[in-house]
Amino acid sequence: MAWLINIRWLAGVGVLGATWVADVLLRLTLPVVPLYLIGVAILLYNAIFRFILNRLLRAEPRDLRPFDFLTKTQIGFDWLAMTALIHFSGGLESPAIFYFFFHNIIAAILLSRRATYFYAAMAALLVAAVGSLEYAGILPHLYVLGNDAAALYRNPFFVIGVVFFFVTTMFVSAYLASTLNARLRKREAQVVTLSQNLLNALTRLQTLYDVAEAVNSTLELEQVLDRLVSRTASALGVRACSIRLLDEAGARLYVAATYGLSGAYVKKGDLMLEQNPLAREVLSGKTITVADVSTDTRLQYPTAAVAEGIRSMLSAPLQGKKGSLGLIRAYSTAVNHFTSEDADFLTAIAREGSIAIENAMAFRALGQVDEMKSKFVLTVTHELRSPVSVVRSLLRTMMAGYVGAMTDAQRDIVTRVLHRTDFLQTLIDDLLDLAAGKSELAVREERVLVRLDEAVERVVKRFEVPAQEKQIRLEWLCARGDGPTTISATNESVDRILNNLVSNAIKYTPAGGCVSVALRASGNVARLEVSDTGIGIPEDALPHLFEEFYRAPNAKAQVKEGTGLGLAITRDLITRYGGQITVQSKVGRGTTFAITFPIVAELSA
Amino acid sequence: MANEKILIIDDDDDLVHAMRLPLEAAGFKVFSAASGDEGLRQVKEVKPDLIILDVMMDTTTAGFQVSLTLRSPDPKSEYAAYSRIPILMLTAIHQTTPLRFGPDKEYLPVDAFIEKPIEPDKLIEQVRAHLGH
Repeated sequence: MAWLINIRWLAGVGVLGATWVADVLLRLTLPVVPLYLIGVAILLYNAIFRFILNRLLRAEPRDLRPFDFLTKTQIGFDWLAMTALIHFSGGLESPAIFYFFFHNIIAAILLSRRATYFYAAMAALLVAAVGSLEYAGILPHLYVLGNDAAALYRNPFFVIGVVFFFVTTMFVSAYLASTLNARLRKREAQVVTLSQNLLNALTRLQTLYDVAEAVNSTLELEQVLDRLVSRTASALGVRACSIRLLDEAGARLYVAATYGLSGAYVKKGDLMLEQNPLAREVLSGKTITVADVSTDTRLQYPTAAVAEGIRSMLSAPLQGKKGSLGLIRAYSTAVNHFTSEDADFLTAIAREGSIAIENAMAFRALGQVDEMKSKFVLTVTHELRSPVSVVRSLLRTMMAGYVGAMTDAQRDIVTRVLHRTDFLQTLIDDLLDLAAGKSELAVREERVLVRLDEAVERVVKRFEVPAQEKQIRLEWLCARGDGPTTISATNESVDRILNNLVSNAIKYTPAGGCVSVALRASGNVARLEVSDTGIGIPEDALPHLFEEFYRAPNAKAQVKEGTGLGLAITRDLITRYGGQITVQSKVGRGTTFAITFPIVAELSA
Repeated sequence: MANEKILIIDDDDDLVHAMRLPLEAAGFKVFSAASGDEGLRQVKEVKPDLIILDVMMDTTTAGFQVSLTLRSPDPKSEYAAYSRIPILMLTAIHQTTPLRFGPDKEYLPVDAFIEKPIEPDKLIEQVRAHLGH
């Protein structure tokens, strides 16, 4: 459309230029004024069309009808301009009659075939009319190319010949141009369809990938199911989606997640396999479309579905490695909504979803086992604790001399027994910590804002004496300018973490060495480093360092007793508060444990 | 000061023994009861100067109940006369477990906690402190 207008600027200027050339350079006898006027008129109405087109392009919402009308109006104006041009430039003798071809081609490209023929017919009619009127003497004939002696316009053979050839040329060119254009358009349409299909396929793939990624990025079963239903509904562009899982007995399908369904519909009840041939069919591995809910006899709750506004359904099986998990179902408010591509798509989603659901289920089962194990350990250690503490109480009473004086040999044995029971007590306490940290007790604890710098100061102070006794330099480095390093945890836990790391560092550092604790904040992360110049940790021991009951061989050689639980507890506590612990070490050179915690903004008073 | 009476309410015979020896050596007269009910009976009978109470006995809350009964704010309570006897509570609740509580007028009206295992010297020190020595 804009293209037509742009070309017309050239046409207007062309008419003006050609008139000037013919008049001034070629000195032809021309009706100069009318020709200039035609050129100016073309430019003028073209400007008006341009203005209207701009208005139309800016209008929202878009309507195609005014554009069509505008095209036809423009061509109408062009007819008038062309007819006038031909008349004033010599009627049938005018070379300007060839200019009608341009419009013929333009019409063939922009308009329908019928419109093109109509245009050709109109052009022929106008040219014939000008020729006839001049021949009849009703319109004056203007000589342009020669004198009146030639008077070709009065020659009937010339008139009929020009009109005949013009008409045939117009129609043949209209036929050729519109045929070529029709073919091009057909190809173009094919390309558009193909690229649309490709785009659709790409979108589906992308969606499938998105669904798979969303679903696989979590191991929480509820999250997996919720994401599956919501993403599936939006990917299929339908109102609702649900997942039903098979119960343990394999007799009924219960609702596990829904999206876009009313509470009442969800509560309608489980799908009983015995009464539900559709569900049975889906569970056997088929994706099934219910084109019209109100007429399908395979449904268990057709009236409930109709009341919910559901008119068609698509169900795909969720199949795990060990058998059927359940089904995923999409609901549409339109009858016959789902295509076979939709069915393929849902089947693909179901396949991805099944893997994610199975993983989440396995993860949950593992968590339950872990929880059970922790509860067991918690109970057992509680039971163990009581007798051990009684034994220690009795032994201490004895050592304190309340049951009479002991011989040196007796005292030696009681000391050994006490030593062992002390260790037993530590072991039990550590186990209790570990189990308590993994049980729901940990979730119930109340977190407070803990200032790490204060905690470090507290712990370092506590270890000043033991460090001095072992002739170890204990350093505390804190970059104060970094801002507060406040985290959300409990004071006891943070103390325990620091205690474990600092006492380990002192324990495994020989006399004359150095233990340093450094704290700094970078961005919203607090970084704590406990470094020593101790015996170090062998490279092959590093991956096992945080495992329960593991002790590095050189640590065992150095200090005989140790539960191997300290670092496991430490890491447990750190991860509980969203932190991380890493370790770097070189045998004989020293070890650095680095902990990071997310900083919590302190509420200003 | 001499012959002050201490009542130990604890169902663990061995632990009672571990406390009895140092306390008697320190000059106290020691009585014991193996359950909460028996403990309350003995309070009336013995009229102790200080009570050592185990937090968990046959039922997990027996210790709490004994302390709540003895410290009842009701002036007509049958134990009103004994509400001022200091109570030391024995706990095995480990320091780092997230379960945390302290002496509380309303819920746990005791004067102090004694951690198990018993350090004999520390026990005597604590007992003396609460008797105002």
